[in-house]
Amino acid sequence: MFEIARKDLQLFFADKRGMLLTFAVPIALITLFAFAFGGAGQSDGPSPTKLVIVDLDQTRESKALITTLDSLDEFQVQTTSLDSAEEMVMKGNRAAVLFLAKGLEDSILHNGQPSFELKYDAGEGPQVAILGGALYGRLNEILAVRKSEIRSSESLVPPDSATSAILAMVAENNSKNGVAIKETPLVREKENAAGLVHAVAGTAIMMLLFSVTAMGTAMLDEKQEGTLKKLLLSPIKPSSVLFGKMISVNIISIMQLVVMFVYGWIVFGLDIMHHIPSLIIMIISTAFACSAFGVFLVSFAKSKAQVSGMSTLIILTMSAIGGSMIPSFVMPAFMQKLSVFSVNYWGIQGFYDVFWRDLAFSDPTFITRIAVLVGIGTVLNLISVGLFKRNVLSLI
Amino acid sequence: MITVSNLKKSYGTTTALNGISFSIQSGEFYGLLGPNGAGKSTTISIMSMLVPSDSGVVTIDGKNIGHEAIACKKVLGVVPQEIALYGELSAVDNLLFWGSLYGVSKSVLKGRIDETLTLFGLYDRRNDKVKTYSGGMKRRINIASALLHHPKVLFMDEPTVGIDPQSRNLIFEVMQKLHKEGMTIVYTTHYMEEAERFCDRIGIIDNGTIVAQGTLEELRLQGGEKESLLVSGSGITEEKQRQLQLFGFDVVIQDEQLLFLSSHMKGDMPRVVMACNDLGIEILHIDIRKVNLESVFLSLTGKKLRD
Repeated sequence: MFEIARKDLQLFFADKRGMLLTFAVPIALITLFAFAFGGAGQSDGPSPTKLVIVDLDQTRESKALITTLDSLDEFQVQTTSLDSAEEMVMKGNRAAVLFLAKGLEDSILHNGQPSFELKYDAGEGPQVAILGGALYGRLNEILAVRKSEIRSSESLVPPDSATSAILAMVAENNSKNGVAIKETPLVREKENAAGLVHAVAGTAIMMLLFSVTAMGTAMLDEKQEGTLKKLLLSPIKPSSVLFGKMISVNIISIMQLVVMFVYGWIVFGLDIMHHIPSLIIMIISTAFACSAFGVFLVSFAKSKAQVSGMSTLIILTMSAIGGSMIPSFVMPAFMQKLSVFSVNYWGIQGFYDVFWRDLAFSDPTFITRIAVLVGIGTVLNLISVGLFKRNVLSLI
Repeated sequence: MITVSNLKKSYGTTTALNGISFSIQSGEFYGLLGPNGAGKSTTISIMSMLVPSDSGVVTIDGKNIGHEAIACKKVLGVVPQEIALYGELSAVDNLLFWGSLYGVSKSVLKGRIDETLTLFGLYDRRNDKVKTYSGGMKRRINIASALLHHPKVLFMDEPTVGIDPQSRNLIFEVMQKLHKEGMTIVYTTHYMEEAERFCDRIGIIDNGTIVAQGTLEELRLQGGEKESLLVSGSGITEEKQRQLQLFGFDVVIQDEQLLFLSSHMKGDMPRVVMACNDLGIEILHIDIRKVNLESVFLSLTGKKLRD
């Protein structure tokens, strides 16, 4: 009995790939999720939320309010024009924008109710709710204090303790009255719920990465079984063997994505029919980038065992930071910055552009996402050609 | 049809080929014999353009393989030692694929596939997945896949290793048919009797050089026309073999038996028996064999083919 256990342990520790999957993969994922949700790595507290403000009032009071908001740890304020701000939301660059309406100064100076407008992307619901809540509280506090200051200066009498107490009561009263924040969705809820788009696109890309890697390892099977050698004996160029493999992997990837989106349409009502041209372009470019990634992994490795060990770790990591598992907006700022290095991020954002943001086919944002995916695919394919010659074609 | 001139190849500090030269005429059946590690496979790999040589020139059908690789590959059929087929595909699909790589049109290919499958006795199983075939059947398909483009030259690297007699005989029949039709065949094998039976000329390769080549008769002359005497019994050791060599015998141990070589074996036999008795070897059986390729090989290289 103990001999059997000893033998099993010996075999387990001799299997480097098994060890990697047992220890390294969970450790890597725990680390990632700890950074994403657990606040790990944030020694100075949570990172500030980027708050875009459009100042339509353009007065001393509105500018003072912006300065005060920017001085708070929880916000990092960026001011911009009306058009630019709306575009930011509609193209998915920001979840919401705060508009300081005309007449803000008047309402502050004359004890009126200052009004604000928060224009947002309904697809970013949780993020908007958090931002709206924080803004409501902070604006109330800031404006209550400001109104008290104004009253105090109007009385021309230095506030004694009794006056201070009264001012505090007024401030509290104002705070209870509250500021009015009108919420206006720029990108409305629609048939293609953002969650559905994320579920289909995120999962489809992650699973595609796994399947293209499996397809790519067929090349290593060919090496092992001698068919690669026989292919090289035939009157075709060695590079044609790799290009042939790339074509087949691309075709199967496209088919896989098509099946997944059709499934999303039939079973969950994902509206693919109104976005056919953009969807086709996105599917082709995503399949191209993912296929190139799979072929790159295979060209990088010298054996099937190496590919299996590496691919699980790399794909899960990329999917986690790229937003396949959880939306990237709920991650800390530095994780969001990292996400741009994954194929998943660009693919998911592109599908959001198609299904949620309804971006036009010629929209620069959409074109940028396509260009990045095609760029990733092209660079990885070029690297693969070199690696393939060195690692896979070294037959003897 | 094929010329090989001063071919050299090294892997690191190991010399695999040390200036090999030979030529093969059109329609010739040429056997390349040598023990493991002699340089046979390296020679075939270079000739089939799988690996580059360090120096030397190979021409096939008048074309230099270094300059016109694709053109040379088109006239070449190669049967690698390992069975290289797609198990999940049927025999027909495998042959369609391998044939298409040589630019044979689908319509022509279909006719040739039927013809080849019939030749190899596999027509009835043509639509079955190759993974369901026996080892011998797979080997037959492996050979068939190298013939679909009607090559002028066929390289066969040990095509009969580990197969059943029925498959082996079928392969022999096909080889003889192809030879009769004028195909140039380069054949490597460990089986001396195959080389003796089929090859017009044989090249014996050892330590990266061709130690002898010619027809079987020419090789017998080069090998000293020696006959062999096989002694089986008890008490055969390497030490006793060395002592027998000191007595002046040309002797090696083969499969726990003593193999003596001599130009006058009948005359030498009493001396062999006496020497064995003196060394305490209890003789159970003695077999005199006529000169064959095995004894020629042994005489030329000092080792058995399967060393």
